[in-house]
Amino acid sequence: MAEREKLIEIKDLQITFGSGKKKFVAVDHVNFDIYKGETFSLVGESGSGKTTIGRAILRINPTSAGEILLKGKKINGKIDKETDLEVIRKCQMIFQDPMASLNERATVDYIISEGLINHHLYKDEKDRSAKVQAALREVGLLPEFASRFPHEFSGGQRQRIGIARALVMEPEFIVADEPISALDVSIRAQVLNLLNELKRERNLTYLFIAHDLSVVRFISDRIAVISKGRIVELAESEELFRHPLHPYTKALLSAVPQPDPELEKKKKLLVYDPSCHDYSVDKPVWEEILPGHFVYGNQKELDQYRKEVEDK
Amino acid sequence: MAKEPILSAKDVEIQFSLRGKKLTAIRGCSLDLYEGETLAIVGESGSGKSVFTKTFVGMLDANGTITNGSIMFEGQDLAQYKTEADWLKIRGKKISMVMQDPMTSLNPLKKIGKQIEESIELHQGLKGEAAKKEAIEMLKKVGIPDPERRYNQYPHEFSGGMRQRVVIAIAVACHPQILICDEPTTALDVTIQAQILDLIRSLQSELGMTVIYITHDLGVVANVADRVAVMYAGQIVEYGLVNEIFYDAWHPYTWALLSALPQLGVKGEPLPSIEGTPPNLFNKIVGDAFAPRNKRALAIDFVKEPPFFNVTETHAAKTWYLDPRAPKIEQPGSIQRLRAKMENRG
Repeated sequence: MAEREKLIEIKDLQITFGSGKKKFVAVDHVNFDIYKGETFSLVGESGSGKTTIGRAILRINPTSAGEILLKGKKINGKIDKETDLEVIRKCQMIFQDPMASLNERATVDYIISEGLINHHLYKDEKDRSAKVQAALREVGLLPEFASRFPHEFSGGQRQRIGIARALVMEPEFIVADEPISALDVSIRAQVLNLLNELKRERNLTYLFIAHDLSVVRFISDRIAVISKGRIVELAESEELFRHPLHPYTKALLSAVPQPDPELEKKKKLLVYDPSCHDYSVDKPVWEEILPGHFVYGNQKELDQYRKEVEDK
Repeated sequence: MAKEPILSAKDVEIQFSLRGKKLTAIRGCSLDLYEGETLAIVGESGSGKSVFTKTFVGMLDANGTITNGSIMFEGQDLAQYKTEADWLKIRGKKISMVMQDPMTSLNPLKKIGKQIEESIELHQGLKGEAAKKEAIEMLKKVGIPDPERRYNQYPHEFSGGMRQRVVIAIAVACHPQILICDEPTTALDVTIQAQILDLIRSLQSELGMTVIYITHDLGVVANVADRVAVMYAGQIVEYGLVNEIFYDAWHPYTWALLSALPQLGVKGEPLPSIEGTPPNLFNKIVGDAFAPRNKRALAIDFVKEPPFFNVTETHAAKTWYLDPRAPKIEQPGSIQRLRAKMENRG
């Protein structure tokens, strides 16, 4: 794994909102790398800080400590204008709610080409419309949809427009922030397939943000579980499902509804209680328990996790 | 199932008039609801699952009318109810409803406790202190800690999951016989979803309610339901016990819904998705409504509407595949795998 090229590196990231008395630390001590060509997922419940991290990479939320590197180059905090433009162009985002993320008063044509216009990425008018049409076709929409307005489309189609808007910039890295949680089950499959296809064809790298582990298992290579602004477990996706170690991961897994009535009716719901950790004396660390499988815990917990792995 | 149904809908047809045109949203739905059971109605958005159940509580939009059929409940035909006064005897008291979005179904200007009291005062005739006591009791019942303090708070002071608990408290405050939950957990996180489902289940056994779930998520259905009805384009296309639907479904639409679940997907392969869009209900539908989206549709599907064929006594599907004259059709891989997994468990 060491030879794989790291696209994004995040080191000791901290993000705070407000200042003085009202200061709130939303994300703290977050470390992970995203390799080129993989789908990396961040999973956690609402308020855990997963979206904040995604937005910080895209320079939407300012960071208060730590570093974010894109191909070895620092992209958080104060950077020169050129790098800033490069980040905007190379990193794109797909938003959660396709009903809210498209400008209702703009045509699809304008929505998709806005980035091109801002960055002067086209030669002439003909080139621009050709690019828009290619993007539309790529996400499975018809080129003549360009002249229409967002309200004429269904939720799934709108999400495709959101994807086309990201693709037209020819990004290398896409942050997909719960791209399917607002969609119907049947449409979810279409959008997931589309994302997978695009990844293969364009060699894209995704940061996939979700609260539902079942979706994440299907799409991702590696998964990080985040709770209250801290990553508590990180592993390859099959490994995480085979050996969930941290109690929060176990609670999340137990909450995933399985389409299997007999299993589901016997299921016992695990509830995560953060007070089960006693970190007053024994300080927790971020440790690699198995190759590629990291857990956050203190020495006593880590010993217990190791035992759990051996027992299996 | 020799039991008498407590609610029985027969051949219900519902039309909406939109800009001078008639849209038939429900095209002849029949459904029996038995006491104490949990029935799940599944389908994608626009299949009519919400519209159908809204008629049980008289909450159809003003431009919609029941044009045919009957809904029998306690010897009365709800389809004939016209006035608000009639409905107030049923809605909230005997049949009540939990809406999808807890952010919009509470009044932001009123204290939580008052909103619960409203329903108690209206239907149980309790007043003042007695109603307040009952409201606090309800808050406790739905698992809200420190109910006395919470009673005086406003909805914005509650999280999404807590708000949904309040909505449930309002719905069950009058001990209804039937509770209709319209996508009660879609707006919530998975962990909270599991807790809310647990809550509804424990309230159900405590108060002896019959529950109808409306959802598009089959994962949730597996968790809660005793029986399942699958709806497509304003019709019920398959119904049966939950095991029969999951391990031995027969309608191609049920297959498609099941196979599209990422939980059943094989990594590296594309998920089978449902191509195309549901039919336009302004037009008259000829044949099987799902046929244009079904890759394995038979020729007759485009010509003649299939009747219900019984698979077992409790399980029936509206598809020509089950006709003895039809060519032999295999169920898709994901369903066979699901059944094999179940059988391996023994």
